[in-house]
Amino acid sequence: MIRKEINRISEVGKALISVEGNPGVALNHVVELLEAGTNQSLSFAKAINITEDSTRFQVFNGTQGLSTQTKIRMHEVPLTAGFSYNMLGRSFDGIGDVADGGPEIIFEKQISTRLDTLNPTVRLVPKQPLWTGIPMIDVFNTLVKSQKIPIFAGPTEPYNRLLSQIAQGAQADVIIFAGIGLKFDEYHYFKEQLSQSGNIDKTIMFTHLAGDSQIKGLMLPDVALSVSREFADQGKDVLVLLTDMTNWSNILRNVANYQDQIPSLQGYPGSLYSELAKRYEVAADIEGAGSITIIGATTLESLEDPVPDNTGYITEGQFFLDNGKLKLARSLSRLKQQVNDTTRDDHRPIMTVMASLLADAEKAYEAAEVGAANDTFSQKLLRYREDFIANMEEPFGEPIELEAALDKCWDILKRHFEPTETGLSKKLIEQYWN
Amino acid sequence: MNNNNTRTGKLIAIQDSLVKARFYGNVIMGETANVIVDGKSLQAEVLQIIPDPKNADAGIVEMQVFEDLTGAQIGDQVEFTGKSLSVLLGPGLLTSIWDGLQNPLYKLGEQNAYLVPGMKAPALDEEKLWDFTPSVAVGDKVKGGDAIGTVPEGRLTHSILVPFNFGKCKVESIIEKSEVNITETVAVISDSQNTKHELKLAFRWAVKSPIPFKERAIPSKTISTGVRVIDLLAPVSYGGTVGNPGPFGAGKTVLQHSLCKYALADIIIMAACGERAGEAVEVFKDFAELEDPSTGDSLMNRMCIFGNTSSMPVAAREASVFIALTVGEYYRYQGYNVVLLADSTSRWAQALRERSGRQGDIPGPEAFPMDIPDQIKGMYQRAGADQGTGGSLTFIGTVSPAGGNFQEPVTQATMDATGGFWGLSQDRADAKKYPAIDPLSYTSSVYDSFISWDDRNKMLQTLYEANGIDQTISTIGLKKVPVEKYILYQKGLTIDFCVMQQNAFHKLDACTRPERLIIINEAVQKLIDSTINFAREDKEDEEVKELVKAKFDELRQWWKDWNTSAQSIDEMAVLPEKVEQFILQEEYTL
Repeated sequence: MIRKEINRISEVGKALISVEGNPGVALNHVVELLEAGTNQSLSFAKAINITEDSTRFQVFNGTQGLSTQTKIRMHEVPLTAGFSYNMLGRSFDGIGDVADGGPEIIFEKQISTRLDTLNPTVRLVPKQPLWTGIPMIDVFNTLVKSQKIPIFAGPTEPYNRLLSQIAQGAQADVIIFAGIGLKFDEYHYFKEQLSQSGNIDKTIMFTHLAGDSQIKGLMLPDVALSVSREFADQGKDVLVLLTDMTNWSNILRNVANYQDQIPSLQGYPGSLYSELAKRYEVAADIEGAGSITIIGATTLESLEDPVPDNTGYITEGQFFLDNGKLKLARSLSRLKQQVNDTTRDDHRPIMTVMASLLADAEKAYEAAEVGAANDTFSQKLLRYREDFIANMEEPFGEPIELEAALDKCWDILKRHFEPTETGLSKKLIEQYWN
Repeated sequence: MNNNNTRTGKLIAIQDSLVKARFYGNVIMGETANVIVDGKSLQAEVLQIIPDPKNADAGIVEMQVFEDLTGAQIGDQVEFTGKSLSVLLGPGLLTSIWDGLQNPLYKLGEQNAYLVPGMKAPALDEEKLWDFTPSVAVGDKVKGGDAIGTVPEGRLTHSILVPFNFGKCKVESIIEKSEVNITETVAVISDSQNTKHELKLAFRWAVKSPIPFKERAIPSKTISTGVRVIDLLAPVSYGGTVGNPGPFGAGKTVLQHSLCKYALADIIIMAACGERAGEAVEVFKDFAELEDPSTGDSLMNRMCIFGNTSSMPVAAREASVFIALTVGEYYRYQGYNVVLLADSTSRWAQALRERSGRQGDIPGPEAFPMDIPDQIKGMYQRAGADQGTGGSLTFIGTVSPAGGNFQEPVTQATMDATGGFWGLSQDRADAKKYPAIDPLSYTSSVYDSFISWDDRNKMLQTLYEANGIDQTISTIGLKKVPVEKYILYQKGLTIDFCVMQQNAFHKLDACTRPERLIIINEAVQKLIDSTINFAREDKEDEEVKELVKAKFDELRQWWKDWNTSAQSIDEMAVLPEKVEQFILQEEYTL
């Protein structure tokens, strides 16, 4: 097939190029950029804004080195991703090209990266717990198959360690690692961890390193999630690790900025919510097929930043990491109620009671700073708080089964309180206090 | 309206969901159009009409397209329909689940598991037969809004109405009682110009034209929502409006689901606007197995759901709320009490923001369109009670303020637009005090309640004072607080813990009806009114306080157990007695 070519680029900017006139490119369709004279392929690009006077493209490999004479060859299709079971154990870049120096892959099929919305009627209501062996998750914020949930953490917190710890125990057929704006050591760490835990053969890594082309980072979740979806459509339970979505949002912000879009908050485009939602909503338990669970990482300075704020409204809860501890107060699994009523009968009450006492203890802790926590009960709360942080909020360590974790909860309560002070029902007290 | 269906245009610019097209002749502001992309017909809406700088004979029309435009090219055909965005009204609305443009999701699911651009299906089942009984005869005079007959729809009687825009008409013909589907003509009427119009069981109505009231009235009857803090302190009336803002994780969704399950109403409409798909799915898959509190039927029989979830096209988000409102108004006109839950109006406002940004409008605060407060007010104004029909439309909209900050434009405009305001508090949510409606941060304009206004004020006053003492304790310590104040604090704590907090996942505690509320109120009032004097000659203040706390702890544990166990009238009646005993116990009274 002879593909139509355009010979003159009129504008080259950061990550974007434009041509004059209307060469007949369709929205979101892909073109290939070729070096004038040698016809060597330089990059692919995507049409994002078309008028009868000009057409604008996002360039996947960046615009450095492009000239007005660079040729554009039209492909007349939207971006697709290659799919094959041979991808397992391998590494790819943001547009699905092999990135581990290994042999090229012969793909079984090309799949659309448009991420069409799954019809809600074919979604199953999630009902299957995913146990992690981390008491803070299993007892207080149980993770559920097909959940979408990020880890919220400051940039220096060990969020990638937590992500990898959750992945190691994951009951998944396929793990898709999607890393955006990573430092090389982070990529290396994940690869090591996945290899050591014997999961590497069921993992596909899509990686965009900090400094790589921004557009490739921007495309990466779509490519990784489309591949995930294909596995799920074929009946597989897929776990997607998405780190770090703040990097991704910042690329989105940069590109919106290059396009002169009107910013809403802190320079992010008004569409930030919809753009994040489009990716996270891929998580689903699909009737008659498999499932996709997404655990992400969102780094933040403050919870009020637009990225964590919008993410919180989209995802089904969040795990909040602070000072290396998984904090109860700001963590939430919205799907836990779907699964924690069929576990042990003390699960829900003890979760509620310990959280409520911890909130009181936080108040006592603040009061103590001004010397106001001088009564007996406040002193009890302060000791409880210390115990809780040390023994429950620690996410790293030997995995603990749910029942043992619940027993541990009772031990902590017994160490500090009288039965009536807990607000637990008489029946449960009789059953578990002694 | 223009009946010329051949008016067309050609695309000259495409970006995201916004397109421009060149046209010759006439285009109507707000009309819908179809953009033909790769042979698929995608629905669009006219936003603006401007002159064409290149061609004096032509004009340029700016449109938002409700579906993904991948593959669209310059020169693609646009066909104008002459009709504004509308909703199909008729029997079969209940139990339906649509996307934001009234495409039935189950029918689309038969075509493809994914929602791909260009998919369509009839909004209402066109084959289902309805048992039509005429209520007018040939020669009768009818006008817009009058019923010409009825069909049973589940437990409801669905009136077949003359579309609201009709003036005085005469019935030319009407069918006998028979089984018909929504595509068949059931009557012919002629207007004052003698033009004949065929009437069917269903008709289309433009979503931005409110369906009129027969006789608008002040909302006056309180809804039993089953949620104690609402029904006691911040009640909502049939026909009222409420804004329900809260940061993420504060429990908006759980509260919406509780209202869906337990609020006493004939019809519940849910507009899942730009929110998580999973939550809408939970409603239509799990709630179908629950019982309607008033009829015992499946809960779904009183519901319909518009699911324009967060990953669906943004342009359709705005439409979804208006479509849901119009359906609500339609049933109100039939005399039913309708509750519309819109989750979330912030996503609706964001859709407007995205669009105005693309159109290059000068942005207002936080880049929202300047007129967003007026648009929000206009939307809530469509709720209301109609004493002419006996129906009502209650609008409860959640708000998702950026950063949990209630000062942002959408929350502020909503507070201004609504009669009630249920503010969810991050602190209460962190302490897992659910529902996290701050008993001290809400407004409510109602004219009726389940408990007396004085009782309500006393309850509030106690919570206020207890909160003040709590702050004193945190700043200067418990030692400095006198025993009397500490008792008041414990009273407030008890009301908060045992009454305001409620377990939405416990089958008994999740819903409290008025008869139970009245018993609870009796106990609360007894507790508030009691004066508990402690013998203190042989005890230090600190000892007394510890004793007080232990006693109140015991009462609270007992009361919590009562919440989750007392079912019969006798069991319920024990609560005020228990509180009385508690007050009178001799060991610590003088």
